[in-house]
This record gives sequence, C-alpha cells and structure tokens, in this order.
Amino acid sequence: MTEARHPIATNPPSGEAHTHAVHLPAPTAWPFLMALGVTLLFAALVTSIAVGALGLLLTVVSIVGWFRNVLPHELHDDIEVADETVVVVPSSEKVARIQVDETHRAQLPLQTFPISSGIKGGIAGGIAMVIPAEIYGILKFHSIWYVVNLLGGAGVGGWINPTMEEMTHFRLSAFLTANIIQGATTLLVGLLYGAMLPIWPKRPILLGGIVAPVIWTGFLHSLLGIVNPFFAERIDWWSFGASQLLFGLVAGYTVTRLGHLKRLAQVPLSIRLGVESPGLHVEQGKEPKQ
Amino acid sequence: MSIVPLEHVAGEAEWRMPSRGVVGMASLITAEATIFTIFVVAYLYYIGRDVSGPTPKQVLELPIFNTVCLLSSSFFIWLAEHAIERGKMKAFTLWWSITFLLGAIFLWGTGAEWYQLIVHDHLTVSTNLFGTTFYSLVGLHASHVIIGLLMMLVVLIFSLTKHLRPQHAERVKVLALYWHFVDAVWVVVFTVVYVVGR
Amino acid sequence: MDTPIISVPGGIEGALDRTRPQGKKGTYLEAIHSWIVTVDHKKIGILYICFGLIFLLVAGVEALEIRIQLLVPHSTFLTPASYNRIFTMHGTTMVFLVGMPILFGFGNYLIPLMIGARDMAFPRLNAFSFWISAFAGLLLYYSFIGGLGLAGTGTAPDVGWFAYAPLTERAFSPGHTIDYWAVALIANGIGSIGTSINILATIFCMRCKGMTLLRMPLLPWLYATVAFLVLVAVSPLTAAQAMLMIDRYLGGHFFDTQAGGSAILWAHFFWIFGHPEVYILVLPAFAFANEIIPVFSRKAIFGYPAMVAASVGIGFISLGVWAHHMFTIGMTSVGNAFFTLSTMIVSIPTGIKTFNWLATIWGGKLRFQTPMLFSVAFLFQWLIAGLTGIMLSVSAWNWQLHNSYFVVAHFHYVLVGAIVFMIFAAIYYWYPKMTGRMLDERLGKWHFWLMVIGFHLTFDLMHIPGLMGMPRQIYTYEPDRGWTLLNQLISVGGFIQAVAVLIFVYNLVHSYFRGAVAGPDPWDAWTLEWSTQSPPPAYNFAVDPVVASRRPLWDLKHPDDTDSAFE
Repeated sequence: MTEARHPIATNPPSGEAHTHAVHLPAPTAWPFLMALGVTLLFAALVTSIAVGALGLLLTVVSIVGWFRNVLPHELHDDIEVADETVVVVPSSEKVARIQVDETHRAQLPLQTFPISSGIKGGIAGGIAMVIPAEIYGILKFHSIWYVVNLLGGAGVGGWINPTMEEMTHFRLSAFLTANIIQGATTLLVGLLYGAMLPIWPKRPILLGGIVAPVIWTGFLHSLLGIVNPFFAERIDWWSFGASQLLFGLVAGYTVTRLGHLKRLAQVPLSIRLGVESPGLHVEQGKEPKQ
Repeated sequence: MSIVPLEHVAGEAEWRMPSRGVVGMASLITAEATIFTIFVVAYLYYIGRDVSGPTPKQVLELPIFNTVCLLSSSFFIWLAEHAIERGKMKAFTLWWSITFLLGAIFLWGTGAEWYQLIVHDHLTVSTNLFGTTFYSLVGLHASHVIIGLLMMLVVLIFSLTKHLRPQHAERVKVLALYWHFVDAVWVVVFTVVYVVGR
Repeated sequence: MDTPIISVPGGIEGALDRTRPQGKKGTYLEAIHSWIVTVDHKKIGILYICFGLIFLLVAGVEALEIRIQLLVPHSTFLTPASYNRIFTMHGTTMVFLVGMPILFGFGNYLIPLMIGARDMAFPRLNAFSFWISAFAGLLLYYSFIGGLGLAGTGTAPDVGWFAYAPLTERAFSPGHTIDYWAVALIANGIGSIGTSINILATIFCMRCKGMTLLRMPLLPWLYATVAFLVLVAVSPLTAAQAMLMIDRYLGGHFFDTQAGGSAILWAHFFWIFGHPEVYILVLPAFAFANEIIPVFSRKAIFGYPAMVAASVGIGFISLGVWAHHMFTIGMTSVGNAFFTLSTMIVSIPTGIKTFNWLATIWGGKLRFQTPMLFSVAFLFQWLIAGLTGIMLSVSAWNWQLHNSYFVVAHFHYVLVGAIVFMIFAAIYYWYPKMTGRMLDERLGKWHFWLMVIGFHLTFDLMHIPGLMGMPRQIYTYEPDRGWTLLNQLISVGGFIQAVAVLIFVYNLVHSYFRGAVAGPDPWDAWTLEWSTQSPPPAYNFAVDPVVASRRPLWDLKHPDDTDSAFE
C-alpha cells in the first residue's frame, strides 16, 4: 500500500536471483609489511643502520607488491552473498511509545516567533530610554555627553578618575564604547522579548514592560558596585530606573504589536481537533489575513 | 507491531558521487599544504634573526630558469591530461615526457644550487638559522618533486610499454593534481625565499 | 539478565550462526593471518579498538603509579626521573595510542555501514594506516628498554607530552629519549593522516543511493569534521617534530635559543596541533552521543541542521584558539583579548549542541540502559568541563591557575568525563553489532556507577588542590601544604575507576562467549548499520541500500509514518 508513496519498499525485489557475488578487495599483506618497513626506517634513527636497511628493503618490496596488487586492475575476491531477509521487530512492548494519533506529525507550528519584531522593539526601546537619561544629564550637568561618558567610560582602559570637565565633554572612545554597550544590550533584550513575550500568559506588557525592568534594575543596583564602581558612585538611580521602565514599555509594546503570535486557542476547530485533510494547512494559513 | 522484512529496493534515478581519487588527493594536498605552511611560517619568522652569516643576500641568486621550467611543466601535464582523455596515447607520451624532463631539469638546478652553496659558500644546515630554514623548506619541496618524478616515471614506463590505456585517465589526473600542487607550492617558496627573504 | 532483548523470530538465529565462518574453522595461525592481511573496514576497526583498549590499560596503570606516588608527602615509590617518564608516557599514550585509535576504530567500523557502503574508499591504505599507527605505538614503548639496552635504566621520554623546547634540544636531552618520542609520533601521524584521507573520501564518494549529505547520520558528519581537523592539525605537529629532528640530528637551529632560534615558536606549533587535537578527540564523543541519545529517548535528534552547523563551526573555531595554552608565556594585550574571546566563542556552538541533546531527551520515553546512562553522565560532565574551560579562557584567571592541578582537573574532565565516558557508551551500544552478543547489563550498571563515583571523587576534588596552588607534574609535595588528604581521596577515586575498568574488561571477554545473542537490531534503532546482520557479513549489505530520509530504518519499520514523507 505504501510503495507508491515512498521510495523504500518493504517487500523484496521481485524476479532477482537470491544469490549473487559481490566484489570485495582481496586481502593482502603488503600494507602490513610496508607499515613495518616504514616504522623500521624511523626506528633506524634511534637504533642502528642495519634496522634501517631492513626497513628500506621491506618498504621497497612492499611498494612493488602493493602496485602489482592494484595495477593494472585491483585484485578482488568474489564473495557469495547469502541473500537472506533480515527481519527486525521494533521493540514496542518494552518501551511505551509517545501516544499519538495518525495526524501527530502534521501538527506543525502554524507560525514561528517573529524575530524581527524583537529587533525592532529593541531598537525602539533603546532609542526611547536615552530620553530620560539625557534629560537628567542636561538638567544636572548641562551636557549631553555626561551620561554617554558615564556608560562608556567603563570600557576605556586608560581613563582613570576623570574630572567633571572631562566628563562633560565629547570623547570618541567613550562614545563608541557607550554605543556598543547600549546597542548590544538593547538588541539582545529586544530579541529576548521577541522570543518570550508572545508566549507569556496574560498581560505581557505588565510583565515585560514593568515587572522585568524593575527586577533587573534592582539586580543592577545590588551588583553595580562590584562590576563598575566608578559608574555606581555617580549613577542617579531614579532617572536610571525611569530609563529602564521606558525601555520596557516601548520595547514591550512594539514587540506585542508586531509579533502577535497565533496560539492554538485561536485556530479553527478542525485543526484543534487534529483533523487533517490535504491542502487544509495552506487554506488555514491564508484565512486569517482576509 | 508487525514484523518488517528489511529489503532495500534499487532506485532508478542516477546517483553520482565525486571521484574518490580526486577527493583523496585533495585531502592529502590539504595536509601537505599545512606542513608547508608551518615551514614557511618558520622561515618568515627567522628572517634576519641570524647571529652569524652568511645571509641570504650574500649567497642566494634568483633561480629564474629553474622556476620557468617547473611552472611550464604544469602546462604540459595539462596537455597530457587532455590527450589521455581523448585517447591520443602518442600525444600523451610526448607531453608526459616533456613534463618529466622539465621536472628533472628543476631538480638538477636545485642540486646545482645546493652544491654551490655547500662547497663554495660553506652554508650547511648547521651553519646558522638561514641555513637551517632554507635547506628544510627548499629540501621539503625538492623531496616532493622527487616523489612526483618517481610516480611520473612509473607512468612513463607504462606508457612507453603500451600498458597505459585511456581508461586510466582518472588515475593520471589524480597524479597530475599532485604535480600542480608541487608547482603551486614552488610559487610560495620562491616568493618567500628568493623575493621576501632576500 | 533483565535486558530488554528483542526476541528474534525463527530464521534469523539460523542466519546468525553462518556469519562467522572463517573464525570458527581453521587453526589459530590461519585466524591470525586473516587479521593481518585483512583490508575489511570492520576488522580494521575492531583491531583499532582492541589496540586502543590494550593501551588504555597500560596508560591506566601509569596513572595509578602517579596516584600512588602522590598518596603521601615525600613518597619514594617512584624516583623523580621515573615520575617524569611516567606522566609523559601517560599523556602521550592516552592521546595518541588510546583516544585516536579507538575513535578511528569506531569511524572505520561505522562510517561505511552508516552510509550504506561496502568498504572504505581506500581499503589497503586503511590497513596500512592502522599498522603504522600500531607499530609506532610499539616503537614508543620500546623506548623503555631501547637505547641503553636491556641493562640500562630505560630511556622513555620525560619532557611532558608537549615537549617544550629548548629542553628537547641535544644539549639538554642527550641520548635518544626525545628521538623515540618524535619518530614514534611522526609515524603515528602518518597513520592518522592516512585514515583521515580515507574517511573524507569515504564520506564524500561512497554514500549509497539517496544518501545526500543532509540525510547522513550525524556521526559521519562529525567524523568528516574530525578528519579535516586531523589533516590541518596533526600535520603541524609532524612538521614541528621534523624540525626538532633536523635540530637534533643535523645540527639545525630551529629551537636552539643559543643561535637565535625560538622556544616560543615550538609552543605555538605544538598548540596549533594541541588544541584542535582536543576537538579531534571530543567530536567523535559528540558523534556517539548524537546516535545514542535519540535512540534511547525514542525521538529523532532535535535540530539536525543546527547540529551539523555547530559541529563544523566547532571545527573551524578550534583552529583559532591555540594560544590560550600560552597566556603565561606572555603576549600583547590584544593577543590575550583575542584568544580569550575566540576561546569563549567555542562555547556558542557547543552550547547549541548541549541544548539540542537536552531537547532530544525532553519529552522522550527514556530507556536507561548502560549506553544511555553513560550518555547522561557525559552531558553533565561535559557541561562542567566546558564551564571550567570558560574560566580558564579568561587570561587573568589563567595567569593565576596555569599549570596547576585545576588545569589538570579541567582537561581530565574533558578527556575522561566526556570522551572516555562516551567511548564506554559507544562500546556498550555497538558491541552487539560487532560481535553479535549483548554486553551484560548488570555488569554494565556496576561499571557505570563505580566509574561515576570514582570519576567524581578523583576529578571534582582535583580542582581544589589546584586552587590551593598545587602545581602539576610535581613528583612530591611538603606535608604542611594541606594537600595530603585531598590527594589521598583523589587516589582512592582513581582506584575505584580502575576497578570499574576491570569489570568492563571482564564484561567484554565474558559476553563475547556467554552474552545473549543480539540479533540485527537490539536497540530498535534507525540508522543503516542495524539493518544488516550482527556481526555484518563481509559485504555489509546483500543489496545496495537506497534511502529517502535521515532515518532509513524508521521508514522501513513504520511505512505508515515515514520520515521521508516530511522531507
């Protein structure tokens, strides 16, 4: 019943003789002797020249022997094939199989997680969180570079105990480092959001936008003194927290808006019941868009 | 669960695999190229670190004629490959002999260079770092040339005694691949030893 | 025995008895002759594995000697000189004469069967490669009695398995100790390169009909990566050893610091080989896990394409990390940063593999038979080995702990906890295919649990003296350092592992004669090697197989639910 569909059939090929011969390379001692010869050649370096002479003789003789073995035609043995059928019984009694009905293989995910929404959310959140930080920097120190230097200064090796004058002026290395830190973390967190928010239960905005930033801000508050004492001394936790919250809200909102994932509960009844009919998937996939 | 007899049915569609000779030789060439890389790195690393003479500038001369011979042999072996593929055995023997001859001239040239260096310039493996690295790298290449020439000699003898047939074209191609590699390595060795190192 | 062996109906047992005709009849001499002249990949594979197992016992005895020596402070069990020889030979043997032969043996045996071929691409080269590796091993061990003659003290190499220059130069190592080390490993390297060429040619040119590259089981994929790594990693060692021999025999100056040569260059050349070598050994262990874990979880491997990409990725990244063995030699800060980062990057593909194994196990119907037990232990131990690896990749941390017992514990976690455990798993898994008999499951459980307890006693505790400052390769220590108790516990763990290995060896021999008959497919597996008899006939498959999916045997067993329908 299945031969038509699958290239591998389970019944024996019909009309073929049940014994035939297979060409296999004939056994030969030349590789063994040549290996011995070459090893003796090496051994001559640590023992005596006589060993080397024996090794050379063996090597040359076996090279010739080996050549005669493969030229002009490879020697081979004809092995008679006893063409019995090997029978295999799947051990279904010993192992409880996963209980599945016939259609379990067809329950493929209707959609995959939209990674791009995470990237977009990360970028949007990353830009948005700059605003509270810059407001703080401009109000307190009258410079847009202060917060940049504060974040980026960690990565600049030669910059030890900068003065306030240095902190409020542009510095390329700190600027680049700050951008890398900011860009990489917001993108990664955005990706994490893209992967996780759509599958979280209920109110993803509350979890991703408020609870998660509060948790990691608290975590950073306790940890920053060890990781970057310079940053920890100068940080303003209220504006920092506001930045994180804003990031969470913007990134979370973007992700949930762009990355709306269909769950099984939203799928038509026929699919939830596991009924499969040819072509159903394509039609179902198109339907929600109309 | 039913008992399933295991039988594989022969399929009809054509199933082609690459030639194992070519893949095997390509793998060997990868390994050999790595060995050469290590020797070349050592040579480059030790340029100018000698504590005593002679230096490359004092004793080395550009082996232009040798290089032309070796590199042109790649062209002739390519002609030979074409000839055997088309079954022109006479042409094959001619091109193959020319290749062999050019390789032999190269080897003779290297020998003459070494004779000059050892006898007249008193540069040996143990003289200084230059001597150590030079003889190792050029010697490693020359040993590959010798192996290539020996293999080519065997083919030449078979070809002259009419034992070689057009159906052996694939084996000849594999050997030719090795010879192309030996030539390509010489380009690197020449650049490193005679151009950069001088 | 409580093993869930599938009863094979009628006809098959009759077929099985006919599969070993040449071994049964004929004299012993004929049997030995047939093994010497064989070019059959299965016989050569078994030769490789037996050779590796014998040297496993030899190197294991050397490890025990080391542990006896370190049992108490100021021990005089070994002289300082012989201690140096023992740990050098232990390391060299385990890497070159145990790890690589066993892994090549499995490759030889399994690759043609898994891709549906009748033999390797170059059967005679295959035999040559094995024999030269074997003779090289004997040559290395001949050094114990060679050189100075039978009455001499023996001249085994005593410079550590990495043989740093300029200690290996004539001026500092007279006699032939280093020469034995170098020539034996050059000869062994020729064998390794020959086998790798063979494996690559087999995988690319000998696949059966329908076996596209992305339908191959993961094991051939990983072996292709390993073979490539051998080509580009063992060759530098061969080249460096050739340079060393030029120095020692022809008076060259490659590593002669008096004449401007560089000792650091040797370190670079050695570790350009040395680090990929770790992956040459561990990738086959991954390959075994890739085959065993799905079968005992009753699920197809999770993320096949990601596994392929991760394996090949590990192969390539591992070529760019060697200098993390050389942080204390001194590099620029850029060099330190580069090798720290490149080393950490290895953990990404490795992490992908680990998560894919977990995802394969997740939700599966697990069967905890011995192969699976070893595989599960492997997963945990490999994770810990990887984590200490990340710690050591940080150059600042490395400066503190380099050449301490912490490093010894780390790489033994890789070599024993991951590789040796997976070798055991593989032997339990494929022994039925190779011999037609099952290994005893009860002895297997004893073996496993003793091995796990002994392993963790030894190598978990070994981290601690390292952190306390105990350097590696010292032949004894002062009693006031606080290392004594830890070393004694470590030694006890070593002996527990030795008992476990003895049980294993007994199991191997006992089950060969008395084990339950396995039948062609005792584990209900899915790859092609299980579709032929156990042991397979010389021609492997009576009819050339044709496959249409990654699990050809699943397709045959479940014609109503085939993989090929979903490709």
